[in-house]
Amino acid sequence: MGALRFEGREVPVLGDDTVASALYRAGVRTFTRSLKYHRRRSLYCGTGECPNCLVTVDGVPGVRSCITPAREDMRVERAHGWPSTERDLLHVTDRLHRLMPVGFYYKTFIRPRFAWPVAERLIRRATGLGRLPEDGTRQTPTARHLRTTVLVVGAGTAGLAAAVEAARAGERVVVCDEAPIGSRLAPGRTLDRVRALEAEIRALAEVQVLDRHAALGLYEGSFVPLAAEDELVQVRAERVVVATGATESHPVFPGNDLPGIWLGRAAARMVARHGVPIGERIVVAASTAEGMEHLSALVAAGANVIAAVVPASLGTEVPDGVETIVDGKLTSAQGRKAIAAVFVETSGGTRRISCDALVLSLGLAPRDVLVRMAVDEPVEVVGDASLGDQEPHLHEDGTLCLCEDVSLHDLRQAWDEGYRSSEILKRYTTATMGPCQGAMCGRALACAARNLEDVPASPAGASPAGARTTARPPARPVPLETLAAAVHEVIEKRTSLHEVHVAAGARLGWSGAWMRPFGYGDWHAEYRAVRERVSLMDVGTLGKFLVAGRDAAALVDRMFPTRIRDLEPGRSRYLLALDEGGFVMDDGLLCALHDGAFYLTSTSGGAARMDARLREWADLLGLHVHVLDRTAELGAINVAGPLARKVLELLCEDPLDADAFPYPGHREVVVAGVPCRAIRTGFVGELAFELHHPRSRGPELWAALMREGRTFDILPHGLDALELLRLEKGHLYLGQDTMPDDTPVKLGLSWAVDAGKEWFVGKPALERVASLPPSRRLFGLEFDGGPDDIAELRGMPITVEGAVVGRVTSAERSITLDRAIGLGWIRTTGDGFPTELRAGTAAARVVPTPLYDPEGVRVRG
Amino acid sequence: MADLRVVTVLSSGAGCDRVADLPGACRVSPTEVMIVGDASVEVLERAVRLEDPDAVVIDVSDGWALVLLEGPGAREAFARLSELELPARGFVQGEVARIGARALVREGGIGLLVPAMLEAHVRERIRTDCRGLVP
Repeated sequence: MGALRFEGREVPVLGDDTVASALYRAGVRTFTRSLKYHRRRSLYCGTGECPNCLVTVDGVPGVRSCITPAREDMRVERAHGWPSTERDLLHVTDRLHRLMPVGFYYKTFIRPRFAWPVAERLIRRATGLGRLPEDGTRQTPTARHLRTTVLVVGAGTAGLAAAVEAARAGERVVVCDEAPIGSRLAPGRTLDRVRALEAEIRALAEVQVLDRHAALGLYEGSFVPLAAEDELVQVRAERVVVATGATESHPVFPGNDLPGIWLGRAAARMVARHGVPIGERIVVAASTAEGMEHLSALVAAGANVIAAVVPASLGTEVPDGVETIVDGKLTSAQGRKAIAAVFVETSGGTRRISCDALVLSLGLAPRDVLVRMAVDEPVEVVGDASLGDQEPHLHEDGTLCLCEDVSLHDLRQAWDEGYRSSEILKRYTTATMGPCQGAMCGRALACAARNLEDVPASPAGASPAGARTTARPPARPVPLETLAAAVHEVIEKRTSLHEVHVAAGARLGWSGAWMRPFGYGDWHAEYRAVRERVSLMDVGTLGKFLVAGRDAAALVDRMFPTRIRDLEPGRSRYLLALDEGGFVMDDGLLCALHDGAFYLTSTSGGAARMDARLREWADLLGLHVHVLDRTAELGAINVAGPLARKVLELLCEDPLDADAFPYPGHREVVVAGVPCRAIRTGFVGELAFELHHPRSRGPELWAALMREGRTFDILPHGLDALELLRLEKGHLYLGQDTMPDDTPVKLGLSWAVDAGKEWFVGKPALERVASLPPSRRLFGLEFDGGPDDIAELRGMPITVEGAVVGRVTSAERSITLDRAIGLGWIRTTGDGFPTELRAGTAAARVVPTPLYDPEGVRVRG
Repeated sequence: MADLRVVTVLSSGAGCDRVADLPGACRVSPTEVMIVGDASVEVLERAVRLEDPDAVVIDVSDGWALVLLEGPGAREAFARLSELELPARGFVQGEVARIGARALVREGGIGLLVPAMLEAHVRERIRTDCRGLVP
């Protein structure tokens, strides 16, 4: 036999011990301390519902020891109390009830304000359930999806029978249970029946058994996530059978949380299955047939049961040698460290029975949390889970919520303070909000609220004040890491040149979902290569679309404000995309093809939206158009700089001179054997050819260009150089320089709108606001002074005599112009737009754009 | 992927119907058929243009990467990546590893067609989420 390590000592592990049974056998009686008053808590439910047995196992806190199989070399510690769970000085709080009335955290530590952070730390330490492991050595759980016809939650007799029936009817069945089948049952008739059904079900091919998988909730579409130690299974079922059984109900009476008080299943299992005695003088209070089974099991195992409190109808079933107290009512329990006596009210008066264990089987509480989560889902409830609500046993006072230490007295006080329904009683007192999530006390809370409302006992839900509180996931405790299993927020897109950039030592970073080079070492050198010689940039991230079909021209004409009617094949034009409100959504380039189709580009981040909108508007307008998103299929390399043509001419036999291939235009060409659509572009303000090519041929095209460009000191450039290149030309970045409600006028882009068109998306909206002078506009800026790194001005408020009138959206020190430039939006101040401004420590003034090559001679070269 | 050929046919419903039953054809939408495998663009063009003279037939092989899930753990691996219900054989499309993908189920394995720029993403997800299930 092995042993587990418990707080520095060895504790033997026998047979099918749980952590709790091994510890209890070794003499451990206090497992936890209660949250608020630090009262001793010992084993109670034995079925993983209550918070009393939570321990830290191998560094993981909050483990339910009563249902966790003991393993050799497990490291087990108790997490509560200071300095230890056994000797907890914080137990003094149990005498200070008056200082911590219900809802005290809403009333105290409010002033002085500075004291709260200190108090918060102390309270957290006093009430925590343990420390989270920080080493991160645990294997992250995996996640998978599973579809089935029927999901049966709960593998007890009812669940297994339902599964067998469905499987025999030819349905695909998944059965899950949070424990190994039958492992939580004491020996007896029920366990025998479960074993028989288990054998039957394991032989059926249609049934998949997922034991040790706890159902966490029931969502629309009958989606039920199941959590296991090492995985999360996301089940979608056409039908869900809830067979989660019932817990034994948690009676509330003064002293009901003393160690030595057990629910029947826990006691029977401890004695009959694990062979661990629970006391020398045991009193059993039972009102159910199952309770009588527990009583028999205890007696059969040799336990000294001195009295049984039972209803008259069950009086004859009490085994010989046990005193029978008929129709007695438990009124309180007494004891200091553990129960010492129980008081029973009988027709003959109140009796005090001294005892060291009290076993309670006073009714069942259906585990109906999944059922209550269902709204329209097809859910069937079978077995004990379908039992109706039974009135819980509530006496004058006692601990209603074991997790949060809330008593009936607290509820009454909260009620008197005006919190008069179960939902707000819950929020104010935190009853049902602890680790058990109301499994033990949810019904008792509703019942207590009904009693307080002073209406006659009625079924749950009949009284709004006393309705059950809303059931929410998770239905069972689950580590966050399980919920996060296989959740990956990052989706990384790569161009075909990714490896090329890596090999070139590029500094790669996120640009939306794309991984893009920001620079290759010295962005100033890259900038100079563009302005003075020749440079390459990977622009494969651009959205690229083919719009074909007989109505292609009609679609682009109506979707975009761009003038289309005179766009001849082989020519291209700046494309602005507006939404229905006339606000700028995207921009790009539109190329007219020879067969009446169009090739168009969008910004890298706007590609998915562009694709969706093209299709949507084709449908809305009833046009015969075929839209093909070619973003994934085509790469693009921008060859830019005054010597760009010279490099290309070494690799391309097609004419590239300004007469044969003027700006702005496009041609199909072959470069280094690679078929390309070359588009003359002007974004960086130099002679430039964007080569759109089959993605798979990107690396060879790039290599050929770099090879032939060597004579001209070619360099690739990244996003850092591009930032300055485009800013010198006054070109804006959508998103960075724009706001969601920017119309073309506000951005100085009216020239890109063909106001003469009859209709285009956004035109009605633009017409409505046309008569209003723009209150805000984007302007080119120049700065004097300011920070050494002028880019720090980005985002800085723009002021006039201290009043904020705008914001800097882009700022860089221009290398060619040798001054600080930028873009920013400015509000009108009544008499037009101010021009002499400040941005932080810098003086700023409005300047016309572009500052670099204003005539565009270089672009057209 | 050098050995992967994908041709897209964009056409009216009737045009698509003409090629929807060819080997390797997947009906992506009422107006789009994707054909995986050897197919001649010219032959397809002739077929669909009988119904729709504007139809677009285009080799889009470069836009797709083929990622194979093979071996006995293939279906289990797929279930780690997607909630889609896999047919015994054939084609299904939807979200796989959080991106839009198309899955071709054949004897012995599943071929995932994913946008080429997301190939690395999908391979990384398979490496981490399907440990030990597929080679």
